[in-house]
Amino acid sequence: MLLSFNWLKQYVKLPDSVTPEAVAEKLKLATVEVEKVERQGAQLENIVVGKILKYEKHPNADKLKVCEVDIGAEKVTVVCGGSNVREGMLVALAKTGARVRWHGAGELVELKPTKIRGVESQGMICASDEIGLSEMFPKKEEKEIFDLSVVIPAKAGIQDNVDSRLRGNDKLKPGTLLADILGLNDTILEIDNKSLSHRPDLWGHYGFSREAAALFNRKLEVCRTKDIKPGKEVKIKAEIKDSKLCSRYLAVAMSNIRVAESPRWLKQRLAAVGCRPLNNIVDITNYVMLDLGQPMHAFDGDRISEIRNQKKIMVRRAQEGEKFVSLDGKEHVLTPEMLVIANEAGPLALAGVMGGEDSGITSDTATIIFESANFAAASIRKTSVKLGLRTDSSARFEKSLDPAQCELALKRAVELTQEICPGATVASAVAAEGAGKSPVSRLTISVEWFAQKLGVKIDTKIIIGILERLGFAVALKKGILQVSVPSWRATGDITIAEDVVEEVARIYGYDNIPASLPSFPLTPPEPNKLRALERAVADVLVRELAYTEVYNYSFVSAAQIAKLGDDGARYLELDNPLSKEKPYLRRHLLDNLLENLHQNIDAYPVLRLWEVGQVFHGEDAGPRVAANSDELLPRQDTWLTAIYVDKANDTPFGEARRAAETISKRLAFTFDFLPPAKPKPWQHPARAAALKHGDRQLGLVYELHPRVAGNFGLAVRVGIFSLNLSALAELTGGAAPSPYQPVSLYPAVMRDIAFIVRTETTHAEIVQALQKSDPLIKKTELFDVFAGQGVKAGHQSLAYHLTYIHPERTLTSAEVDAVEQKIIKLLQQKFNAEIRS
Amino acid sequence: MDLPTRIEQLKTGALPAIKAVKNKTQLEEWENKLLSRKSGQLTELMKDLKDLSEAARKEAGKLANEVKFQIETALAGKRRELEQSEWSAMIERERVDITQPALPPKERGHFHPNTIIQRELEDLFTSMGFMVLDGPELESDYYNFTALNIPATHPARDMQDTFYIKGHPNWVMRTHTSPVQVRAMQKFGAPLRAIVPGKCYRNEATDPRHEHTFYQLEGLVIDQGITFAQMKGVFQAVADHLYGAGTKIRLMPKYYPFVEPGARGELTCFLCAGKGCRVCNHTGWLEVMPGGMVHPNVLKEGGIDPQQYQGFAFGFGLTRLAMLKYGIEDIRLLESGKLKFLEQF
Repeated sequence: MLLSFNWLKQYVKLPDSVTPEAVAEKLKLATVEVEKVERQGAQLENIVVGKILKYEKHPNADKLKVCEVDIGAEKVTVVCGGSNVREGMLVALAKTGARVRWHGAGELVELKPTKIRGVESQGMICASDEIGLSEMFPKKEEKEIFDLSVVIPAKAGIQDNVDSRLRGNDKLKPGTLLADILGLNDTILEIDNKSLSHRPDLWGHYGFSREAAALFNRKLEVCRTKDIKPGKEVKIKAEIKDSKLCSRYLAVAMSNIRVAESPRWLKQRLAAVGCRPLNNIVDITNYVMLDLGQPMHAFDGDRISEIRNQKKIMVRRAQEGEKFVSLDGKEHVLTPEMLVIANEAGPLALAGVMGGEDSGITSDTATIIFESANFAAASIRKTSVKLGLRTDSSARFEKSLDPAQCELALKRAVELTQEICPGATVASAVAAEGAGKSPVSRLTISVEWFAQKLGVKIDTKIIIGILERLGFAVALKKGILQVSVPSWRATGDITIAEDVVEEVARIYGYDNIPASLPSFPLTPPEPNKLRALERAVADVLVRELAYTEVYNYSFVSAAQIAKLGDDGARYLELDNPLSKEKPYLRRHLLDNLLENLHQNIDAYPVLRLWEVGQVFHGEDAGPRVAANSDELLPRQDTWLTAIYVDKANDTPFGEARRAAETISKRLAFTFDFLPPAKPKPWQHPARAAALKHGDRQLGLVYELHPRVAGNFGLAVRVGIFSLNLSALAELTGGAAPSPYQPVSLYPAVMRDIAFIVRTETTHAEIVQALQKSDPLIKKTELFDVFAGQGVKAGHQSLAYHLTYIHPERTLTSAEVDAVEQKIIKLLQQKFNAEIRS
Repeated sequence: MDLPTRIEQLKTGALPAIKAVKNKTQLEEWENKLLSRKSGQLTELMKDLKDLSEAARKEAGKLANEVKFQIETALAGKRRELEQSEWSAMIERERVDITQPALPPKERGHFHPNTIIQRELEDLFTSMGFMVLDGPELESDYYNFTALNIPATHPARDMQDTFYIKGHPNWVMRTHTSPVQVRAMQKFGAPLRAIVPGKCYRNEATDPRHEHTFYQLEGLVIDQGITFAQMKGVFQAVADHLYGAGTKIRLMPKYYPFVEPGARGELTCFLCAGKGCRVCNHTGWLEVMPGGMVHPNVLKEGGIDPQQYQGFAFGFGLTRLAMLKYGIEDIRLLESGKLKFLEQF
């Protein structure tokens, strides 16, 4: 919302020393967020009206003139090259210090006294494009200077330019600031609307003036209007069918209306705060809204049919399927939760949201009906959201406006119409339905309680003073305050004692509340097992294995799902995705990690990436929707996925497994690597292992199916390790078994053994067989695997370090030889092994 | 020639020769030549001592021993000298270029900048006795809004800002970490001290300053006698921790339906020390700490009696803190997966 500083000052007389910036700062510290303070015509500083008293040709230049110019307080000599210079002409004179754009081009340059061809020039007579006004006042020829007497006819005066309340001080006198003449002397404060959503009273200038008056401890000039003298031409009957959705409805007819352009002051006021002027009647409704915060509507009275000489207006719920064409020409289908203003023929307006095309003001309108009403916030909001119609009016009504302001707004609109439309008359009595006032809301708060809540003792007198400045009525009795809420704050804004505490605190100044620290019993916090696990695995990946963490969106595309070969029907979907491309909630972290890979692969020979995040499984049960509800949200486990690519490694399974192994060791938690029950379509079926702990599968190590890699545009093999951290967190924690064993007192004997077996023979089988074969074998460690040259097809050569230890004495080599022979026999018999050494 | 003269002669010949020796082999040759037990020249001369008279033998013997000592000293000196120069030569040969980096380069991994700041804050709050909690990112409408004093028709609940789930009108992608406030109250009751770092979602178009996916760090303190002044104290502690002791903070009113009074906290821009720069939009202040006193309706939803307990809550923008800490100019980089960006942290 844009706030005009001049408008504000109409209601609160701030001393000149209080700048718009100071008001903005105070508002920011105590009330709302001010996003910008912009001075209109900031560029026109030091540019004033000048009157050319006389001029003569420059002694040293044919095309230049030396002018004597009256600028009010003094007369100055200025050299000028304008083609239209004449005596008595009113011009825009840039004094020393003004900033101009020479010949309308380049950067702004600050004027300094100078000599032009030997003649002193104390300023510059400007062309419109030299002071940024060429759009409003285009030049007709190259060397033309800006002729104010043509632009603003002196005789018509500025009467038309000023609100009746401001009239009388501006004239086209030499020395007057050009910005003032053009009405560009305002400063606009941009308020963040979101910061206003709890303040129904701040949606107009009057409300902000009231706030400013409280902040600066000044008197508010109460807005007063003339009473409406009823007319008899037209009879209006208003009827509220649903008083829950409409608590107040006022309407009055005016005739002899001539729809025309608004006077300049009104247009300027509206334009200054970003509202496009349309015609006098519409502008008046907008002006009243921006002034008092009360949205108004004007119907074309002649387009509302009469029955028995009476214009009947109903405020009722729409019927299911009822159609309505709004002012902007769009047709809407309505539902009963929406409120309409209607007559017998059908809806005339969507209450509080937008008027109808059929009853709107046109250039031929001669009779109007002003509406000033109060509608229930929730219904307005639902309607505007459902129909996608967000208007200045709905934005205000959805904040719960004060019904007491309807009457003031209507009076003000009538008064303005009579002022702006000479001859306009009130043609009816005011039709008034509903209560003009709500019962006063009172809160009881002990003085002590302010200190208990805020942690600072504020003097009771100060508390009462602040509340009274804000319009609250306060009575103090034995340390208890009886606080009556003013009507403009009583519609939901201030309902509980805490709300009153905030009022006091913000005016007292949050800055004036001293910081202190709470004291707590010395108890360590309950640990978060999942977080501890996340950190442990992250540390391994980053610090030991050089993986880099990525953060991805939780959304995936249909294309990604198809590329993986996954079942799209299993994915949860956003109802209103930002991009139609990625509407699905990820079921695993892989999809987006593969995109990361694709994006980076050209620049790196080796890539190691990982991500930790929640995934969404609609078919599994997650947390409750509410404490007392049986409905469950989807299960949202936190997973880790790490991917590994080395362009020179066509079996990255091993590296992926290394990540799993290292983490397993760090956590002192063992996984069994077993063939997965049913590999997923994106898993290489012969290069996949399920990570199991007992019956539970906690993760996977696998290579991406090369076909799927191709789908993602990847011409490399991808090793993948994924781990369900949520599931693992339930199993880990507590004291891990100690990895320590006493070091043997007797020396270990190390022997290597290498042999050739069929490729199908697994390491697990061999280790199991070796370890069972003799108790002297303490450790079996695979250190080399080889296939290819020198090894017959379908076979592989395996080499192991074997460690032999006797717990009670030193082994002799004969003993070790014997065990070795036993092993060789076993390998030959069980695996048909060919021993190499 | 008599023996002493021959001994003197030997000495005059031997000492300069030893001095002139160039390497260890020569030195050994000289040692053998002069002192070898079997055929050393001095050994030979000393054998002749026995033929002298006792007085002459005593004198010549003394001379021989002196010469022997001198030769031995000369040999030892030369040996040291040769060894020293051998070491020097070897050391010179082994000189490395200490300016070279270790090769081959060992790659290192990288944490996401958001993770770094999240860990810092988790550690700070854990040290002050706060629990670290998590919650579902796909939340119920109830926990995300209703329980936080944002009823169905509240303007704060703008359709545009929330992602809804198809087929489940009462499911949303959480728009803040605040839903965990009520979940935590229901689970742990009062008193309560917790933070909730986590991923949040808003349905808004992305640009250098806006992201539909971002991270917050929620905080919640509930106990008897918790005050607004104490919230300010905790904010100050965080500011001191992140940006150095004495970082100025200031609080201003701000409306959030789930707190009353509500505040937004600004701290002195640490980049320009409050002088005003591009990052703080020339205000000298950075707005990073929103919070307030927990609204009694929220306490009630959490099953906590607002007559007995009160508390404060806050929700820092982790993403924003990370951007400020590192001077990241475009928020979209954080979820871009660009390694050239990520490997700088």
